[in-house]
Amino acid sequence: MSVEKMKVICVIGSNNDIDRAAQMVVLNGSIHMLNAMSELNNNCLELKASEDNINALQELVDVKPYVSNADFTEDEKIIKSFHEVLDMKQEIVTSYIDPEFDYRGIIEDLKKSYEHVKNTVESIGKLTEEIRLKQIQISNLQYARSDGLDIGSLLKMKHFDFEMMTLTREKYKKLKLNYENIPAVVIHLGVVDDMDVIGVMTPTEFRADAERILTSLNVMKLDIPKGYAGNTENVMKTLGIEINHAKKEIEELKKTAGASENQYRELIRKAYTMLMLERKIEYVKAEMALGKKLFFMFGFIPDGQVEQFKQQLKDSLKDEVIVLTEAVENRKYGHSPPTKLINNILFKPFETLVMMYGIPNYNEKDPTPFFAITYMLLFGAMFGDVGQGFIILIGGLLLKYMMKNDSFGGILSSLGISSIFFGLLYGSVFGNEDIIPHLLISPMENINTMLISAVVLGILLINISYIYSLINLYKRHDLEEGLFGREGLTGFLFFWTIVLLIGDSVLKVFGIPTAVYIVILGALLLIMVVKQPLAHLLQGRKELYEESAGDYYLEAGFGVVETILSVVSNIVSFIRVGAFALNHVGLYIAFATMAEMVSSRAVGVLILILGNILIIGLEGLVVFIQGLRLEYYELFSKYYSGYGIPYKPVQLYGYED
Amino acid sequence: MGNLARFAAVNTKIMSIESQFLTSKDYKNLLEQKTVVDAARYLKNNTAYGEVLANIDPGQVHRGYLESLVKHRMLDNIDKISHYFTGDYRKFINTLFAKYEIGELKAIARAVYNGSDLKPFRNSVFIGKYSKVDEEKLFSAKYIRDVIAAFEGTVFWKYLEPLLNNNIKENLFRFEMVLDASYYEILQKQWEKLDKQDVKVLERAQGIIADLLNLQWIYRGIKFFKLSPEELLNYTIHLGSRLDSGFIKQLCYSKSLEEFFELAAQTGYSFLFKNDETTDIFMGRRIERHMFYELRSVERNNPMTIITAFAYTIYTEIEVRDLISIIEIIRYGIPAAEAQKYLIRNLNEGA
Repeated sequence: MSVEKMKVICVIGSNNDIDRAAQMVVLNGSIHMLNAMSELNNNCLELKASEDNINALQELVDVKPYVSNADFTEDEKIIKSFHEVLDMKQEIVTSYIDPEFDYRGIIEDLKKSYEHVKNTVESIGKLTEEIRLKQIQISNLQYARSDGLDIGSLLKMKHFDFEMMTLTREKYKKLKLNYENIPAVVIHLGVVDDMDVIGVMTPTEFRADAERILTSLNVMKLDIPKGYAGNTENVMKTLGIEINHAKKEIEELKKTAGASENQYRELIRKAYTMLMLERKIEYVKAEMALGKKLFFMFGFIPDGQVEQFKQQLKDSLKDEVIVLTEAVENRKYGHSPPTKLINNILFKPFETLVMMYGIPNYNEKDPTPFFAITYMLLFGAMFGDVGQGFIILIGGLLLKYMMKNDSFGGILSSLGISSIFFGLLYGSVFGNEDIIPHLLISPMENINTMLISAVVLGILLINISYIYSLINLYKRHDLEEGLFGREGLTGFLFFWTIVLLIGDSVLKVFGIPTAVYIVILGALLLIMVVKQPLAHLLQGRKELYEESAGDYYLEAGFGVVETILSVVSNIVSFIRVGAFALNHVGLYIAFATMAEMVSSRAVGVLILILGNILIIGLEGLVVFIQGLRLEYYELFSKYYSGYGIPYKPVQLYGYED
Repeated sequence: MGNLARFAAVNTKIMSIESQFLTSKDYKNLLEQKTVVDAARYLKNNTAYGEVLANIDPGQVHRGYLESLVKHRMLDNIDKISHYFTGDYRKFINTLFAKYEIGELKAIARAVYNGSDLKPFRNSVFIGKYSKVDEEKLFSAKYIRDVIAAFEGTVFWKYLEPLLNNNIKENLFRFEMVLDASYYEILQKQWEKLDKQDVKVLERAQGIIADLLNLQWIYRGIKFFKLSPEELLNYTIHLGSRLDSGFIKQLCYSKSLEEFFELAAQTGYSFLFKNDETTDIFMGRRIERHMFYELRSVERNNPMTIITAFAYTIYTEIEVRDLISIIEIIRYGIPAAEAQKYLIRNLNEGA
């Protein structure tokens, strides 16, 4: 339920071990890489000058970034064509991974085996290319066909050359503008993708002239089949038949290759797995820095993984290795630590919704638990219904287990449960309030109570978010905002004064004169206006303002107006929770009335069913969004920045960037 | 959206950015600097270029680096402006980057053609800004065709692909011509989606630019390249031009330079051709300077239109070009008195 603690890890080892170390990182799967060069430049590596470290210290003088010269394109091509010929799926098989593996050796084996199937692969390649060309020709001929051109005879002409080409519309305009000077007949055949298609007939004698002019129009010649007799229609048909022949041939070839399939299957899988691993290793190495004899590697690692990873490194590297870890709090420069959230099964799905707003900063309190509880509360309160909640619950479970959509399925099922709970409190089943008695309150009969409790709930939630904000500001040691800011202590007091002012003037609890409140509010606003100079005074800094005083006060002045408006509107905003609870019943009443108005009972039932579907779909969505709105605008804006960096460890599966 | 609502904020922003342009005094002071490092220090301490130079030690700056920093500021500022727009308007502003990307691309292609090292081009500022080209692929090009292949899947592909087609040898000249033409086609396609009034002013402003470039092109084509009239015509730009296409065609079909000059004298642009030795040397500068004054007048007559943003990019471009000229003037030790000849801005006038 928090943000996982991170450490910076620095590994210094012999260059002989560089591949091994990179492999350990990939297989360990919990290290978020940092660029070693920028780490070495920005953050001083603290090495004690002892016997062990003397080599590393010497190397630091002259380090260079690792330059990769690995090229996997050929390996990839072979592996890919193997997969294609044998109709295999590309998959990583973890059990094939052997730390002692020799990548080159496996690829060599594979290349040897490839010799056996090489001919087949090449023939298939040739046929596929032939099919592709013929398909293009067919689609090119389509333009000629629609204009009734007879390709067969056009291409047979002795003293004329016929060609088809495309050019941009601008250039076609130029062609038209100067048509009388062009030694060719041009037929406009159509427009595709904003390009004009033309047919050009040139007397062979003027061919060179025409070519020069067409070139300056930047034409793109279209491939049309030569040496076929008959009209366009027939040529297209012939091409189609040829394509089918080629396809059959490919099938045949694949079948014969398939006979030797089992012989290669394991080798291919292994090679593919290794290739993927090797690529990740290169990715890790690209972030390293190299000295003459040693490599330097940096990364973030979750606190709990440190010891295990250290041990793995020490066990499997041949030469001496130095592993340093540093608390992230000591870092002054460079990337801030990535955020890995830890939440239990109940809250985990809600991380998606939190991330839609932003990822928590490393130093921020993870808002997910608070978000999850309040969001369920808000949703249930607005959409409290035993029957409809049950359907949402079922939908969520289906999503989760049948379609493997954990996050959204999890959210829906939690929301469904919350809806059922509130349905019991309101006594509502599929909108009907007569089937079961309400345990707490019937919304429609207590409109005022509903609305007022919504506001009270809002005040409660805003309070909690102020507390969150205070904790975050304290963690950041932000004196200015923490004590005097809008989301800090002063803002909190301001909020409470307004609440008491409203409460007192409506309920007359304390009977304190309004003037007193106004004076307090004014004083608090004044503090917020002068928060920066005040904080700077307290910290004993010389300059009072970070910008010019004029700019500062202009901004602070607007801030005052916004503060007053936002505190009041924040509170009022929560009325919607009550309003939607009423709305929910209201919508049902509308459908129930319609159902009663029709004479046929069957139609009435149908209307109720349709109405319920509409309510679940439409109102469910609206309430879902309104709940999010309350969370994001009214609560998150107070205490949550969401400027964090997601934790992306190097892993065999998945992609870093 | 009404034009007032669309442009009120951004045009104010542009005005504030334009107030940071170098003054004539800055120009003069810069020309008095003895070394590129001094110039960099002056820019850092006395001008708005201090922003991009903030974390840089002027002592480390050399000519190429300073140029790329100056261009960077241009890119940042245009980016800032584009953030004030949405939808098709933002896309239009982004299209303007294509011009500068093409400029850099042509330089790269020339280097590839000459077989020179591409490393100095790696800090090209605009490459990929509009096209999103794969830079690795581009910078590892050995031949022009590799450069072209790098653009597969980008907006430029449609224009470049024919260069690889049908065994016509892809050469540098065609590459440059095709890219230049593609910019105007892309630009026009994008601006057609703007409001009518904006299209009108853009056509007016760009029309003048197109006229100037067409005249320059036809003149050079006749004098140096000896191209056929048909080819000349095919490479002209038709984009809101004031000279109608019939007249341009007539220009292309002039039988001699004299006939061309006679025809050109009928246009409002006769100042380009003084028919002495200065014509060739200063034509580019004359075009830029004329463009500047014309844009200023179009801008003044059409407040609250897209022209303010459009003109801003051209003004910045002029300043960047001048600044690069100044850096070269300093670098190659040309006397300050002669410098004016190479600058677009007229230093004898007020800023």
